[in-house]
Amino acid sequence: MISRVRALWKNAFRRKQLDRDLDEELEAYMKLVEAEKLQEGMAPEEAYAYARRQTGGTDHVVQNVRDVRTGAWIERFVQDVRYGIRSLANNPTFSLVAVGTLALGIGANTAMFSLLDQVVLRLLPVRDPKQLVIVKEAGNHYGNSYGPNTMSWPMFEDLRDNNNVFSAMFCRFPTHVTIGYSDQTVQISAELVSSTYFQTLGVEAVLGRTISHDDDSIPDSAPVVVLSYSFWQSYFNGDRNMIGRTIALNGQAMTVIGVAQPGFDGVEMGEPAKIFVPIMMKTEMTPHSDGLKDRRRRLSWVTTYGRLRPGMNTEQAQASLQPLLHSILEMEVQQPEFIRSATAADREPFLRNRIELLPGSDNDLREYMSRPLWVLLALTAAVLLLACANLANLLLARATTREKEFAVRLAIGAGRARIVRQLLVESLLLSGSGAVVGLMLAYAADRILLRIYLPADAASEFAVSPIPDGRMLAFTLGAMLLTSLVFGLLPAMRASRTEITLALKDRSGAASTGGMSLRRLLVSIQMALSLLLLVGAGLFVRTLRNLEDVGPGFPTDHLLTFTTAPTLSGYSFADTKSYYDRLKVDLEAMPGVTSIAFSTMPVLRGYAWQNAIVGKDFEGTPIEQQPVLSQVDPNYFATLGIPVIAGRAFSAQDVAPTDYAVVNESFAREYFPGRNPLGQRFGLVSDSESVPPKTEVIGVIPDRKYRDLKETPPPQAYFPYLAVSNVRGMTVYVRTQGDPRQFEDALRERMHRFDPHVPAVDLQTVNEQIGFSLRTERLVASLSAVFGCFAMVLAVIGLYGVMAYTVLRRTREIGIRIALGALRSNVIAMIMCDVLLLIGSGLAAGVTLALVLVNLIRSQLYGLNARDPLTFISSAIILALAAGFAGFIPAVRASGVDPTIALRQE
Amino acid sequence: MATNESDLVQGTLDVLILKALALQELHGMGISRRIGQMTNGAFDVKPGSLFPALHRMEEAGWLTSNWGQAETNRRAKFYALTKTGRKQLRTETERWARISFAMGAALGIGQEAL
Repeated sequence: MISRVRALWKNAFRRKQLDRDLDEELEAYMKLVEAEKLQEGMAPEEAYAYARRQTGGTDHVVQNVRDVRTGAWIERFVQDVRYGIRSLANNPTFSLVAVGTLALGIGANTAMFSLLDQVVLRLLPVRDPKQLVIVKEAGNHYGNSYGPNTMSWPMFEDLRDNNNVFSAMFCRFPTHVTIGYSDQTVQISAELVSSTYFQTLGVEAVLGRTISHDDDSIPDSAPVVVLSYSFWQSYFNGDRNMIGRTIALNGQAMTVIGVAQPGFDGVEMGEPAKIFVPIMMKTEMTPHSDGLKDRRRRLSWVTTYGRLRPGMNTEQAQASLQPLLHSILEMEVQQPEFIRSATAADREPFLRNRIELLPGSDNDLREYMSRPLWVLLALTAAVLLLACANLANLLLARATTREKEFAVRLAIGAGRARIVRQLLVESLLLSGSGAVVGLMLAYAADRILLRIYLPADAASEFAVSPIPDGRMLAFTLGAMLLTSLVFGLLPAMRASRTEITLALKDRSGAASTGGMSLRRLLVSIQMALSLLLLVGAGLFVRTLRNLEDVGPGFPTDHLLTFTTAPTLSGYSFADTKSYYDRLKVDLEAMPGVTSIAFSTMPVLRGYAWQNAIVGKDFEGTPIEQQPVLSQVDPNYFATLGIPVIAGRAFSAQDVAPTDYAVVNESFAREYFPGRNPLGQRFGLVSDSESVPPKTEVIGVIPDRKYRDLKETPPPQAYFPYLAVSNVRGMTVYVRTQGDPRQFEDALRERMHRFDPHVPAVDLQTVNEQIGFSLRTERLVASLSAVFGCFAMVLAVIGLYGVMAYTVLRRTREIGIRIALGALRSNVIAMIMCDVLLLIGSGLAAGVTLALVLVNLIRSQLYGLNARDPLTFISSAIILALAAGFAGFIPAVRASGVDPTIALRQE
Repeated sequence: MATNESDLVQGTLDVLILKALALQELHGMGISRRIGQMTNGAFDVKPGSLFPALHRMEEAGWLTSNWGQAETNRRAKFYALTKTGRKQLRTETERWARISFAMGAALGIGQEAL
């Protein structure tokens, strides 16, 4: 072993010395043989020749000795790399094109992979993330809900205390709180967590302690807070004296007890929590809604997580939790206040609710982004494949021109394996350089993508970063090796089969027919792939167009919006009402402002307040179909420009909590089919006052988009906000004269002057907001369009290259044809026939492929069929025209062949 | 009859070289000649096989080499066995004994001939 290492060292660093020794040794050997033969009486020349013959050529021996040396492969590799670099440097245009193509291909893939990996593939940065599951109550939700995977606190307690499948459970609730510093008040995202949160996740405190059991027993008793590491760093400059200090959250004094370990920003991707507060502080942290212990209204708000016991799988756990859930539900429906009007038939579907366990890393952002990111990664992979086809084509062409070089090397004794290896090293050099440049491109691309893609407030400290990490580098390396094999192997194999005799005969052109059918096949594949990408791009671009055209269902051009939450700055509910009344007067007095409206729910931000409703005369099962609700002020419909098509809007006199409602057409159709909705009544199941149903429908508005532009508008109902007892944060809409963007600064300043402790959050025009809500669609559309164009350019270049070469090869034949009287147009037609054949076969394959594959992106489209004929036909026409033009150039050149020159070539 | 060295059974050349060097240090030519003598001319080892083998064995630590004076006063590289080389020779000899005994038995060559 030691001697091997020593040998490797010597071979690596004293190669020249070793080679000189070897030469001398061989020389001595031959002299000895020669001397021996001379002694035997051989003539001197004969003895000399005999000695040479005996050795069989010193070069050969030297090569053999070198090959057995330790580390010889390194030497050979270095040699191959040197030779490769020289050979690539000899042809800089080719090398630049190849490296550029690969850089774009590999870079795009790396960028997409990095996003996908960080957003979708990676698990939470906690201990054994695979054991963590979200516990979901699936089925009919019979109450008031804050989201799809939530449950009530009492139900969490029941599950936590009675299950035998989890080693630990915790729950959390994401919210916003205000924090005041240097006379500015800002909103930050916070997580209300049960005391088991940190222990269950296995997240430690780097400073101080995490939340303990004692902080989590009596409501309102634990004014403590744990800071996230990044927040501690950015906000408090990593001040170690923060522990024990008091900060004001929503005006409430809270003691900092610890800083969580770096890299942990809560369990929800895209909404990094900056602080963690015991859930017992809910009243202080979310003044607008209490309900910690609420079981009656089935207020579901906490997301519940469990850590599966070792050896327990999801199915077993689900089966085991089912009876437990059932007994909880049985108890809930027996509660006298539960739903007074509910019949046995109403309760029955509710009792069929099931426990579902989802991976702990699941969340809305992941779900929402995963599909588009996979689609984009698939598109970039197709581009890379196409780039490989193109390079294979270029290399095949290059191999043809290098035939003589290979033949010479074969003739002087290089093995065919050696030539294959040499060419693969060249491919590796190309893809390696491509990968390096690609990594830089990916970094830049990711930075841009992150800015477009992620929620604005998250962009800076979001867990996703454009900086390459190990996984990204590994992916790039893999992509590099794979591509160099894909585009390098075929040409290398082909080149190694060079016929020495034919190639050395120097009949330029005539002998080199090799690789032509392969190259034509590659061009067809490129055509097919780029058609696929063009079709995809067309579908996504048209989807974006459709979404932009459809709009939210009301005029948005002169609207500004922002949200405020005075309760987070110490306002009581009573004060909040007067705050909004005064704010309304103050803002309406701003020059250029036409009207102001408030709503509890912002539109088109993906939020929804949903509640099951009850009523006497409903058709179907209204409990299953939950309408989307919000509370709005009397000006709302007028300010947003939504016409009331029947009945009336709210008036200032409509102040009783839920006595009146304005509903949309879907609501009317769904619950009161065939009847005049005006005057009909319904009630909210969560509202104990609402039995018998007391809410009267007083107006109907047209359907409009609510959560996002893609949805079919759900049934919607609006209540007057002034009537609601617990006024929470409000979204404010401001209709302006002229360009609303000119009012942004003035409005922000006015809000600050009005009350510096109540910040205007997310102030923007509604058009900007819509633009942001379409960011995924825009990203997919623009990237796929770029990829499509890139793919088309590559395919067209590929076709041009093959046709140009074909024409060159047939120069003599064409010359003869022209000499025999063929017209120029005949020659053009002949070549174009060939071009069209190539295009046609590629397009046919591409269309077939696309027809199958578009099924995978159906859910990403809006307002058009996945097999949209217009997109298919126009993509095919564009590609055919571009390719046809590329083929036309060599055709024209062919028609210009001078027969005399062409014939003299032979 | 001279056997082409490429016909040698795998590992034969190594053990022959080790054996040739067992008594004294030799240069390449000497080793080649010695092997010829030892095998009654059956093996004629050519430089194309000899030198790669020598260099490989030296790297493996079985041989050492030194420049010295050959019989005709020429400079030549002499090879000698190391300790490991001797051990290797013993191991190899035992191995060959086993193999040839087994092969002899299988092919029905008289035991007394061995």
